Amino acid sequence: MDKKDIFISAIKENESFIYKIASVYTNNSDDKNDLVQEIIYQLWKSFDTFKQKSTLSTWIYRIALNVALYQLKLSNKRVLTIPIDEQILNTQGTDNSEDDEKWKIFKYQIDNLNLLDKAIVMLYFDNKSYDEIAEIIGISKTNVGTKLLRIKEKLKSQINKNM
Amino acid sequence: MKNTWNNQSDKTQQENFTSKIIDQMTQTKYNSKINRIAYPEIIGSAICVLATIFIGFNFYKLDTIFLQGVGIVSILVLLILSIVSILSIRQLKISKDFNKPYVEVLKIFATQKLEFYKLQKINITLSYLLLVTIIILLSKFFSGKDITDSKYFWTFSFSFGYIFLVFFTKFVTRFYKNTLKKSEELLQELQP
Repeated sequence: MDKKDIFISAIKENESFIYKIASVYTNNSDDKNDLVQEIIYQLWKSFDTFKQKSTLSTWIYRIALNVALYQLKLSNKRVLTIPIDEQILNTQGTDNSEDDEKWKIFKYQIDNLNLLDKAIVMLYFDNKSYDEIAEIIGISKTNVGTKLLRIKEKLKSQINKNM
Repeated sequence: MKNTWNNQSDKTQQENFTSKIIDQMTQTKYNSKINRIAYPEIIGSAICVLATIFIGFNFYKLDTIFLQGVGIVSILVLLILSIVSILSIRQLKISKDFNKPYVEVLKIFATQKLEFYKLQKINITLSYLLLVTIIILLSKFFSGKDITDSKYFWTFSFSFGYIFLVFFTKFVTRFYKNTLKKSEELLQELQP
């Protein structure tokens, strides 16, 4: 297996997370596709710097999150939050499935978190262990636990407020 | 929420990248947007440098000490503005290390944001100063007249300048208030 084959298979294994990061950090499908391309391009460019100190998946998650953050800074766009009613109104009469609506509500809740909490909770939802989250984010395992507790409370209170 | 996140995985499987697309992207044909970001800063710096050269070449037309002083101030402001632009490109390049832990990149960006807003205020003040000095210089270069002989010029430029600076500083502070607050809060949270 040559370098490119290893890279392609690693991307294939983790593409679902790359797409989801792109969906969370952007607001339309064009920006999303641009970000996915940028993430894959930067991963390819940095592939030689992967030192196997961590797993390939952990490394991909870290690079993907950093590229998303970088793109967000450069585009100078804040991820806009659309009021929930407006979001639901916009989906009426279209072919969007129930899952799409759920995703929009999910995104609305996530967008209200700061960039650190947003990344932690995405990794948590993606079934990453506390150790892996700590390694990707660069904080201690205990800190991950504490932050996740606070994030869950914050999300609960946000959801209750909107109900 | 976890279910919604996991359900989204099934959707992404449908729109996944084919090996062919990845193959195309890993070729040099793909132009990274990140590399294109510095263009506005480069153009800005180039304009400042060209204006400096223009003033330098026409400096002999400035026949009084006052006008020569105005010329020197203009050149200095233009150089400062282009140095600020170059420094901001350099900052972007320095922080472009995607191997760093996420929290470190966040810290760098939050700090840069705070510094950027401080620089914005200085830039606005300098830009206004430049506007006044450039009007004086252009009038001398192209019509040979010293516009500063007119008392209306000074009355207008000082009163307008004062109003402009007060309003603009308030606008900048109000415009960036939330972003500044968020950056400060994030930095506080990132403290070990």
